[in-house]
Amino acid sequence: MTVFTSYHPAVEDNENYLSSLPIDILALLASAHHPKAGAVVLFSGETRNDSHGKEVAYLEYEAQEKMANKMIAEILKSALEKWNLNIAIAIHRTGKVSISESAVVVITASAHRSEAYMANRYIIDRIKHEAPIWKCEYFTDGTKEWGGNCNCQKITGDPNKHIYEFENKEK
Amino acid sequence: MTIQVYAVLKDYFDKEFEIKEDVHSINELQEILIKRNPAFKNILAVCRFAVNDEFVDNRFELKQNDSIHIIPPSSGG
Repeated sequence: MTVFTSYHPAVEDNENYLSSLPIDILALLASAHHPKAGAVVLFSGETRNDSHGKEVAYLEYEAQEKMANKMIAEILKSALEKWNLNIAIAIHRTGKVSISESAVVVITASAHRSEAYMANRYIIDRIKHEAPIWKCEYFTDGTKEWGGNCNCQKITGDPNKHIYEFENKEK
Repeated sequence: MTIQVYAVLKDYFDKEFEIKEDVHSINELQEILIKRNPAFKNILAVCRFAVNDEFVDNRFELKQNDSIHIIPPSSGG
């Protein structure tokens, strides 16, 4: 789940960026220190208790695991090169995720904070829009909904073209 | 060939099923799937197709033993 600048490519191929168990955020953070990094940014995407005006009981995530792992590896590698990061970590949950639990954690470390912030946003945006991972919301009223879909194709007209937050400098 | 679908697509098809017809391209496969379930047409345009774990375009030529995954829009995070 961790990609270092001096990683061995063969190691990367076997990395697993998905977890069916709760994410140990503190252990991940502890692994994100680097002597050349003056900034470490941690993002945790967590389950909210409301969505579409309804009370959420829990979420369940499904993934095409092989493709999702490959894609997250590529996203981390791309971020490492783009911002010259020291460390890039991402892990996404599968299965049932309760309220206030982390569904996804992204950690970036770099010499200065600007790169760590930008790279972190780039990684989470691309994972949300591109990785074959899906959320199903289960509500307290007993209903469920496959939700929060990437709707970019309605604007771009192409399922492979996305509108990313990290590209919008005003936000 | 084997077809696997995910997330909301499981409301349209079984999670995993076989296609016995002679299919040569993703385009032809899409036509067969729409015949099986006409409602699939509404969501088809936003789905991506993958063959043997790689995304492919609609002209991609299929072989009889290919394993096909139909990937609806992502909703991770």
